[in-house]
Formats: sequence, C-alpha cells, structure tokens
Amino acid sequence: MELLIQQYPWLDELLMGFLGLTWKHVVMWAIGALLIYLAVKHDYEPSLLLPIGFGAVLANIPHSSAVSTIPGEEGFLIVLYNAGIANELFPVLIFIAIGAMCDFTPLIRRPSVMLFAAAAQFGIFATAIGATLVGFSFEHAASIGIIGAADGPTTIYVASRFAQELLGPLSVAAYSYMSLVPVIQPPVIKALTTESERKIKMGFEGEEPVSQTTKFLFPIMITVIAGIVAPISVALIGSLMFGNLLRESGVVENLSNAAQNELANLITLVLGITIGGTMSAERFLTFEVFLIMALGAVAFVFDTAGGVLFAKLLNMFSSVKINPMIGACGISAFPMSGRVIAKMALKEDPTNFIIQHAIGVNVAGQVASVVAGGLVLALIPALAK
Amino acid sequence: MESALSKAVTLMTVALPTMFAVIGVFIVATKALHAAFPAPVEDGEEYEDEE
Repeated sequence: MELLIQQYPWLDELLMGFLGLTWKHVVMWAIGALLIYLAVKHDYEPSLLLPIGFGAVLANIPHSSAVSTIPGEEGFLIVLYNAGIANELFPVLIFIAIGAMCDFTPLIRRPSVMLFAAAAQFGIFATAIGATLVGFSFEHAASIGIIGAADGPTTIYVASRFAQELLGPLSVAAYSYMSLVPVIQPPVIKALTTESERKIKMGFEGEEPVSQTTKFLFPIMITVIAGIVAPISVALIGSLMFGNLLRESGVVENLSNAAQNELANLITLVLGITIGGTMSAERFLTFEVFLIMALGAVAFVFDTAGGVLFAKLLNMFSSVKINPMIGACGISAFPMSGRVIAKMALKEDPTNFIIQHAIGVNVAGQVASVVAGGLVLALIPALAK
Repeated sequence: MESALSKAVTLMTVALPTMFAVIGVFIVATKALHAAFPAPVEDGEEYEDEE
C-alpha cells in the first residue's frame, strides 16, 4: 500500500479515511449509535442524547473535518466548543431557558422543601470522595462528583473549568443517568423505606397562595443571597433566576417564550452535538471513562439515599410525618424525579396523591443543585492550592 | 491520592454544612417575602394571583 501511495500520491488523499480507521473508531460509532438508539427507541433525554450520539460519530471519522484543529481550518465542532463551552456560554444560556420554564410557586408555598434538596446533593460529595479513592485527582474527582447534581449544565460548567479533558464522558454520564432516574431511584427508595412509610399521606395545611409580587421578587432575592455567599456561582444562579424573572415579570412574555422555546432548542442542539464532538476515541475509550460512568451511577444512588434518609430523620422529630420518598426528588432531574416518586406513591396506595409535594421538592432541587455547584466551584481552587 | 482524598473530605465537610446554612437563609428569606406580600384571596380561588 505504501508503495502504491508513493507512486500515486493522490491515493493518500482519497483513502485517508480508510487508512486512518481503527477498531477504536468503530467502537465509538457503536457508542454513538447506542446513544441515538436510546434517544429514539426509549425516549431517554432525546434532545440531548441524539445530538451527542451523532456528534460522537462525527468526531470519530478518521481525519474528520468536523473536529479539525488545523489553524485556519478548524472544524465546526471545534469552533462551537471554543465559542460556547470553553468559555461556559452554552450552560449559562441553557440556565436562562430552564429558569424561564420553572414555576417556583410550590417551593415558595413550602420553602422547607429546600432542605430535602440540600440533603439530596449528598451524592456530589460522597462521589467526589469515592473518585479520589480510585485514583482521580481532586479537581477531577470534584468534577465527577458534580454528576450527582443531576444537572447537565452545572456538570458542563464545572467540567469546562476543572476537567476539560473529561467533559464528554461527564456530560454523557450526567444526561444518561438523568434519563435513567425511573430505573435508579425506585429500588434505592424501596431498600431504605418500609411499606408503611411509603404510604404516608401529606396534607397542605398552612400553605398560603402565592402573590405575583412574591414570585417576581423571589428570583432577585435568591440571586443576591447566593451571589453574596459564593460570588463564583452568580453566572449559574443569576442566569437561572434571570430566566425566571422574565417569566414572572409578566411584561416580557415574548422574551420568556423565546427563552423557553427558541433559545432552549437552539442551545440544546449545539450543546449536544458539541459535547459529542469531544468524545474522540482516544479520550473516551479509557479505563478512566469506565470509572466515571460507574461513579455517576453511585452519585445518583447516594443522592437518592441522602434525600430519603434526611426525610426519615426529620420524621423522628416531627409530629407531622412526611412521606420519605419525596426526599429523593431533591435532585435536579426535573420533572422526571417528581413524577417517578408520585407514581411510586400511587402504586403503594392509589389514594395517595403526593405529586404537588414531590414537584415542590424537585423544583427546589433546581436551586440546590446550582448552589452546590457554586460551592464546589468556589472550593475547588481554594482547596487545590 | 491521600492528599486528594483529604481535600475531597474537606470539600464535603465544608460545602455540605454551608449549603444547609445557605438553604436555611433561603427558607427564612422566602418565608419573609411570602409573608410581606400575601396574595389577595378571593372566593373560589385556590391559588394566587394578580395584585
């Protein structure tokens, strides 16, 4: 073959795709195909897993122009990466969209549900410790732990700062496990609760209706408090709450709609394919990535356990009992986690409707995950010194 | 690795209580905000709204 190429140099140009092909590329195509299959066939986070899967295929075609790093000839996925992920722009824009979609009314009516959301962030820190035990550096371990926030944009934001080389696997793990909440959470909850606990009914005593003024001021208040505690989190919490302010102001419905639809769709599209573009075989087919995928599952298990056990702890000291299952909704996978837990309660007792409580905790999970992300962002550089 | 482990343990021991403290402030502030701007309750209206 080499002789042929020496004789006919143009053959090299024509056959470079074949000549550069290795088994690793084919494995990555299979992984890309698996993500696309899960998105299309099983509806697992399709708006993200489908673009990520196809991006992975694009990144693993030998000499792919989509991921070319030749100066002046950078591939479009590299251009998108530099334009939106390396500088953390896409996760921030996604947060504006999420904020515009969020209705914090259940949380404002019963703010104590935020405690469950705080407890459900336990997985972040437990997983970070676990990651150091299997050999990851502190910065990488903390970034892996953030998978436990069950919050894709926060994961991307933290990874783009402290674990750029792990961005692809971290994002895939975060989004994959978010879509697997209906599979991961129920067995953990069942293992930690008794049947009678799962049948506890919850009322709405003392929950007042929420005024529009309160809903309008809430995002501003949260931004200022979180910003003062962890200024580094202002980009995350500020964008989330800006989106919510657009929604609740009532005077910029067009902007709120644009954030919820056009902005969300456009950024999700480019975010997914750009992340897929980082999944080159050299980076992805490693033992490290296998460990990250395993630790991601651990993070979700510990999150669920943290929320449930905290609710059980509160029940020991409270006369009004809480269904401990709602503690598991404190993760940021919204509204999937809330729905899963509400369905579980109905399965145990068809007259037990805890959906409103579950969704309230789930909305609080959006805020708590960003706060946790902000604290981790602030503490990584401080502790890494 | 030991150093990384101790940093991760420190991360948990600092961040987790801090987060509960911040959430505690959120709860107090949200309750105060909710109390300061109560919704006008009308007959037959279960939730919220319009000021």
